[in-house]
Amino acid sequence: MRSWSHQRSFIAISLTPALLLYVLFVIVPIFWSAYYGFFDWKGLGEARFIGLDNFVEALTDPVFWLSFKNNMIVVAASVFGQVPIALLLALLLKRGTWFQRFIRSAVFMPMVLSSVVIGIIWSNIYHPQTGLLNALLTAVGLEEWKHAWLSDPSIAMWMIAIPLIWNYIGPYLIMFLAALHSIPSELDDAAQLDGAVGLRKLVQITLPLIWDTLKVAIVLCISGSLKAFDLIYVMTNGGPAHATELLASYMYNSTFTVYRFGYGSAVSTLIVIISLLMVAGSQRLMRKETH
Amino acid sequence: MKQMLVSSSLGIYALVTLYPLMWLFMSALKTNAEFYASPFGLPATWQWSNFARAWEVSGMGTAMVNSLIVTSTALVLTLLLGALAAYVLARFSFRGRSIIHLLFVLGMLIPIHSTLVPLFIMMSKMGMLNTYAALILPYTAFELPIAVFVVAAYLANIPKEMEEAALVDGSNYYGIFYRIMLPVALPALATVAILGFLRFWNDFAFALVFINSPALKTLPLSLSVFATGYATDYKLTMAALSLAALPTIVIYILFQEQVMKGMAAGAVKG
Repeated sequence: MRSWSHQRSFIAISLTPALLLYVLFVIVPIFWSAYYGFFDWKGLGEARFIGLDNFVEALTDPVFWLSFKNNMIVVAASVFGQVPIALLLALLLKRGTWFQRFIRSAVFMPMVLSSVVIGIIWSNIYHPQTGLLNALLTAVGLEEWKHAWLSDPSIAMWMIAIPLIWNYIGPYLIMFLAALHSIPSELDDAAQLDGAVGLRKLVQITLPLIWDTLKVAIVLCISGSLKAFDLIYVMTNGGPAHATELLASYMYNSTFTVYRFGYGSAVSTLIVIISLLMVAGSQRLMRKETH
Repeated sequence: MKQMLVSSSLGIYALVTLYPLMWLFMSALKTNAEFYASPFGLPATWQWSNFARAWEVSGMGTAMVNSLIVTSTALVLTLLLGALAAYVLARFSFRGRSIIHLLFVLGMLIPIHSTLVPLFIMMSKMGMLNTYAALILPYTAFELPIAVFVVAAYLANIPKEMEEAALVDGSNYYGIFYRIMLPVALPALATVAILGFLRFWNDFAFALVFINSPALKTLPLSLSVFATGYATDYKLTMAALSLAALPTIVIYILFQEQVMKGMAAGAVKG
């Protein structure tokens, strides 16, 4: 057997590069942004310590809260759009014939595209003059419904929620299928014998059995809502009049459009805090419901 | 009868899901006038030359090469460093192991965008902006948690006897890693590789902030000119998007099962 010191040096040599890279580029930046958040700084020249001013300003800025609200709209669209659609599809695609596998592949397809590609495709679908959606409405005789879909602040955020839902149904579908397949078939048979079919079987037997997977899906919807930056940047860049601003785009614009690095850092820190709070909160909420 | 109804509505659903993509490829082969006049129809004559024009206009050759360099380097680093770390974390017991493991898992909860500003500042101080490293290092760093997570979970189930036999035969730990662990972990590594490929190839946010030299632009970044610049030349926009989407669609068609399984595992990171 090799010596303990040989083993120790192997552990150190194997772990150090990964750990160093990870800590330097993922963990350290979080603390740096918390630190920069206390400064008034344009990225160049002298940084001035201003205490909590940036944090107070962000938390009292209506645009910050509008962005937060839009993030919540994304959560709502995911939880009430993606989860039920994915669950319904999973129930229908359970057997996995070639036809069902084809549908599964089709639903998953948008996942492999860059969000820039997706953003530009959907911008063109929504385009007021040349867009596919308005052309469709004309074709079916609903011309009065035609719209400048992304420049109407009252609906722009909901219009962006549609490609978001379309894009991310795939992984939830796969998760639900795996969960459904892990249900022992005896339970299915027993339910059948008891006369539990259709909706009743779903609510009383299937849903409780895949509840853990549903929980994970909902937590993912919540944490995922904070990551929808790319699509927003390409489609509307937060406009019109901040109607589609998300926390990430608000942070980006505060930092790289108006060059307030200290303020942007403070917002970054708030995003980390909010996402950790939301993940912790959603997990606690779910735990309570299972009892 | 009921089965028929279900099947046909599923078929329609799949068609609706795929339609934006079909429309994309169809529009790429039209003229601008056609794009406007008959948005749903097939092109009268298929304008294959659109692709060549789009390739030129968007500087896609350079962007493809950059994306290839950045993606492949980050992939090799992720797989090598991730697998080594996962091996050590899964198969050895030492002080600090659980803390390090927890630290990596924690990384899955951190929203990538919240590190953009501090990373930008850090890199600008280190003179690292506008280099390949400005993308390769953060890509690798952010992919390590999922790599460690997936590979360590896989290696934890391998019987201890395999290593012990090799040790008795006089192999050292590097030999065991290279000759036993890597081959055994191949399915897990394939999952990590596919996930990493898609994430690196498609990334926009990091490239947007850390790169502005045209010579270093990656594919998604070079495409973003079509969000504004050439947006009125629809045929070119659609042709460029099609060209950019093709590699990942081909990979997906070839490795469907792995991609789906990987994404389900990777959904933890989201």
